[in-house]
Amino acid sequence: MKKIDITATLTLILIMPMTFAATLPSGDEIANNINARDEGVSVSRMVVMEMTDKRGKQRIRKTRGFRKYFGDEKRTVIYYLTPKNVKDTAFMTYDYADASIDDDQWLYLPAMRKVRRISASDRGDYFLGTDFTYEEIKNETRVSIEDYTRKTIGEAIIDGHRTFIIESTPVDKATAKELGYSKVKQWIDAKIWMARKTEFTSLRNKRLKTTYTREIKQVQGIWTAHLLTVENHKTGHSTKFSFSEVDYQTPISDDLFTARAMRRGL
Amino acid sequence: MTTDTPAEMFFERLTRWPKTIILLGLLLIVATGSFIPTLQKDTRSDAFMPPDHPALVYRDKVQEIFGLKDPMVIAVVNDGEHGIFNPQSLTLVAWLSLELEEIANIDPNRITSLATENDVIGTEDGMLVEPFFEETPTTQQEADAIRIAVMDFPLFVGSIAARDGSATLIVAELEDQAAAQTTYQALLELVERAPKGAGDTIHVAGEGAVSGYMGAYIDADAKRLNPFAALVITFVLFIAFRTLRGALLPNLVVLGTVASALGLMAAFGVPFFVITNALPVVLIGIAVADSIHIMSQYYEEVAQHPKANSQQLAVQAMVKMWRPITLTTLTTMAGFLGLSIASIMPPMEYFGIFAMVGVAVAWLYSMTVVPAFLTLLKPGQSRAFQSNTASSNHKGSDKFGQMMSYLGRFVIKRPGVVLTIGAVVIISGIVGATKLELNEARITIFQKDEAIVKADHAINSNLDGAHYLDIVIETPNIEDLFKPQHLQQIEALQDYVTTLPHVNGSTSIVDYLKQMNRALNSDDKAAYQLPDNAEMVAQQFLLYSASGDPSDFEKEVDYDYRLANVRVRLDSGLYSVEKAVVEAVEYYLETNFNAIDIKTSGIRASLSGRVNIDYHWIKSLGDSHFYSVAISLLLVMAMAALSMRSAVAGFITVIPVAVSVLLIYAVMGFTNIWLAIGTSMFAAIAIGLGVDFSVHTIERLQVLIKKGGRSIDEAITELYPSTGRALLFNFAALTLGFGVLTTSEVVPLMRFGALVAVAVTSSFIASMTILPALIKVLKPRFIGLEKTE
Repeated sequence: MKKIDITATLTLILIMPMTFAATLPSGDEIANNINARDEGVSVSRMVVMEMTDKRGKQRIRKTRGFRKYFGDEKRTVIYYLTPKNVKDTAFMTYDYADASIDDDQWLYLPAMRKVRRISASDRGDYFLGTDFTYEEIKNETRVSIEDYTRKTIGEAIIDGHRTFIIESTPVDKATAKELGYSKVKQWIDAKIWMARKTEFTSLRNKRLKTTYTREIKQVQGIWTAHLLTVENHKTGHSTKFSFSEVDYQTPISDDLFTARAMRRGL
Repeated sequence: MTTDTPAEMFFERLTRWPKTIILLGLLLIVATGSFIPTLQKDTRSDAFMPPDHPALVYRDKVQEIFGLKDPMVIAVVNDGEHGIFNPQSLTLVAWLSLELEEIANIDPNRITSLATENDVIGTEDGMLVEPFFEETPTTQQEADAIRIAVMDFPLFVGSIAARDGSATLIVAELEDQAAAQTTYQALLELVERAPKGAGDTIHVAGEGAVSGYMGAYIDADAKRLNPFAALVITFVLFIAFRTLRGALLPNLVVLGTVASALGLMAAFGVPFFVITNALPVVLIGIAVADSIHIMSQYYEEVAQHPKANSQQLAVQAMVKMWRPITLTTLTTMAGFLGLSIASIMPPMEYFGIFAMVGVAVAWLYSMTVVPAFLTLLKPGQSRAFQSNTASSNHKGSDKFGQMMSYLGRFVIKRPGVVLTIGAVVIISGIVGATKLELNEARITIFQKDEAIVKADHAINSNLDGAHYLDIVIETPNIEDLFKPQHLQQIEALQDYVTTLPHVNGSTSIVDYLKQMNRALNSDDKAAYQLPDNAEMVAQQFLLYSASGDPSDFEKEVDYDYRLANVRVRLDSGLYSVEKAVVEAVEYYLETNFNAIDIKTSGIRASLSGRVNIDYHWIKSLGDSHFYSVAISLLLVMAMAALSMRSAVAGFITVIPVAVSVLLIYAVMGFTNIWLAIGTSMFAAIAIGLGVDFSVHTIERLQVLIKKGGRSIDEAITELYPSTGRALLFNFAALTLGFGVLTTSEVVPLMRFGALVAVAVTSSFIASMTILPALIKVLKPRFIGLEKTE
């Protein structure tokens, strides 16, 4: 690479942001790279959900989760293992690729011995008492291309890794309202294309949430985050997801994603 | 007067440097007065309780767990056919709920309204948790649907939405109660620009609003009252002396007194409370009293010794007056000390303390600055006293002096009649005192036509009420609140509470669980009941969290399901109502929760919330009132007894004030004026102020009889035109000063002013009638009469 005069570079940065952006991958390029990352067809894993309220009181729930792609459709089921009084409760979702079709959700309540269908949640609703929205749970480490326009605004080091900073803005007001954010700023690892840090800005333009993705390790050749944390700045509530026993290879039966399987339990 | 008494020597020396003394006096005013701008206002009702009161400490703990701060309550009322369930009103509610988030000091997470709360609905095969309206309705049909949904959720009926649909509330909690005034103003501005539809009215009320409103209200009041009081008193002084110095010199004492009392309050970081508003007026009245007596004596001296020089006149006036002035200062301070000792309420304690400071400073100025000024000024006559020289027999032939002389003659002729009237007053006072009602309601602080009063009425008549009693349920272990027996106990408690008068509803986690249970059972009305096992409860919460917010039940249950709060709604903030409810609930909790061994039942309950705080606060007000009256009387009596070295003298001194206090009880008892925050202070203050009249009377009679060798009738005859006349103006200054308070917009202050004015009047009259009559009849030894006479 040719040595560039620093003053000239700074001038360029100031005068022509586009020129600068050209030196970094564009927002859409980064987004495409993120979504191209292998997530495996199916996965089974232990998830410990740790929710903390603003006074520091905690609710800890151990779950086992399964996820499998059926073509474009994604099915997820979560079984609660502890605490005792919610043991065997199961939560199942079918996410359809077509955004216009509402997702289907069911909850199995062992105390009633019944599977209950729950209303399709709004994408911006909070997921099972955590600080993640359904949209974030559904996307896992991916991003939704059509909801946002994005641009690369720089780079930074997060947790010792080089990241590109992209700023995503919802395409229109309705989408912003649906998602619950007016802006999302992400620090994307420049090598493995996974967000290491994300900052969410509320519809009222206030700092809302910050998430970190940590303990990223390869599992069976797939980059996998083992720790997700999110802090809600508005409510003081926070959530930590710790993943273990991640397995992309052991086949998961299609039958697992049925009401009957939920009733039967693990 | 040929040999110099110690007093004479003292005042002669003092008046040798008049300019220095005046300068020092002015410097003290500037020094203390410079602190006044740093005075902090504190209009919170919590300010009336000692910060370490258990009820307050517990409430803070509860607040920490559940939030539940004193809220601002905005009511949207629509008297139209559909009530507030029309597209425009609901849009307005949504608009207000959203805009409130932007207002500083409003906790954006703690705004509750139809636009923020979730509905829990049963569907054929599941349960739905969703906002009552996601998009604001545009048609009446949509609004009707919302009405049906809201009315089908028992939790919100009466609490958030009026049962008849005419009104709805937006409840917003404050982050910092101390900043309520600014927040309240911001809310009023918000309401002003809110997009109101046809028939919509918006009210702002709630405990937060009351504090907020009070701040501005008191400021405006104080700015008007204090100059008015000073003006009125200057007028009284002018009538009394008809000279410029007579009118202005006492005002200098007033300035010194008020500046030091308020300046020292500021310097010690004591805030300006609601009742502190009365302090300057009290001080103005007290401060002029000493100088009225000095000036009266001075003008008598001028009239009697026209050739004496300024210094001699000033010294002679002081020699005669220093003792009674010092005595009245001590007795008045004793009265305020009583108020301060007896009250557990910081505002009253400080009121007593700084009134004492003021009285002491007034004495200091009267003893030094006043004679210094009189020395500096050329001897001046007062037309009011000129006639005194004309006939030495008939002193005080100015109208006021004559008036007092007539009274004196009547007392000498008919002591029996005077004493009989006194006895009647005492008896009716005792009867009246038994009819005294201890009561208080924060809202009665304001005039009836104030916006806040209308808002309070609108909310408490249309809905279940915005006066909250919190019952905190405590279990020993995490997730104990999932246990059905505990939930059932809470349910029974809620059922019981709603049978109490003025209790219209209550909210707890039980209500949410019943609603969820019903929703899970296909909205079957019969399923509106608690689940019968802990697992079901836990799973229902989990189910709810599938679409609710993580912080949704923050107000009802703590994060690990060990503590729950039951919020009870009352439609009245009246102490008598709160007392009945609190005592009934306390008894219920004692027998149904706390009496049972914690190990077997595992559940306890205690009271909190504004209603409970008010209950403890006002209750202690009643206790401390009679205590402070007793202490003040005793202290005043002891002080008088000590300084006159006679227990009988002490006893006789307090008779007029005792009569005046009893008379006020009679007035209050027979006219149903409550013994409340403002009115409860009248007694100790009336004692401290009113006792001056009897001290002056007794002291003068003592001097006339013991030293002057007059007979009792001669002494009484001489007493009236001189001391009597001075007391008349002393009384006029006090009564008119307190009379100014009756023009206050703050109702308790108005009542307080009226009661003190009446009390001062009656103790003046008693000192001028009952007291001399009693002395004439009893001939006590301390007065110096020969027993054989």
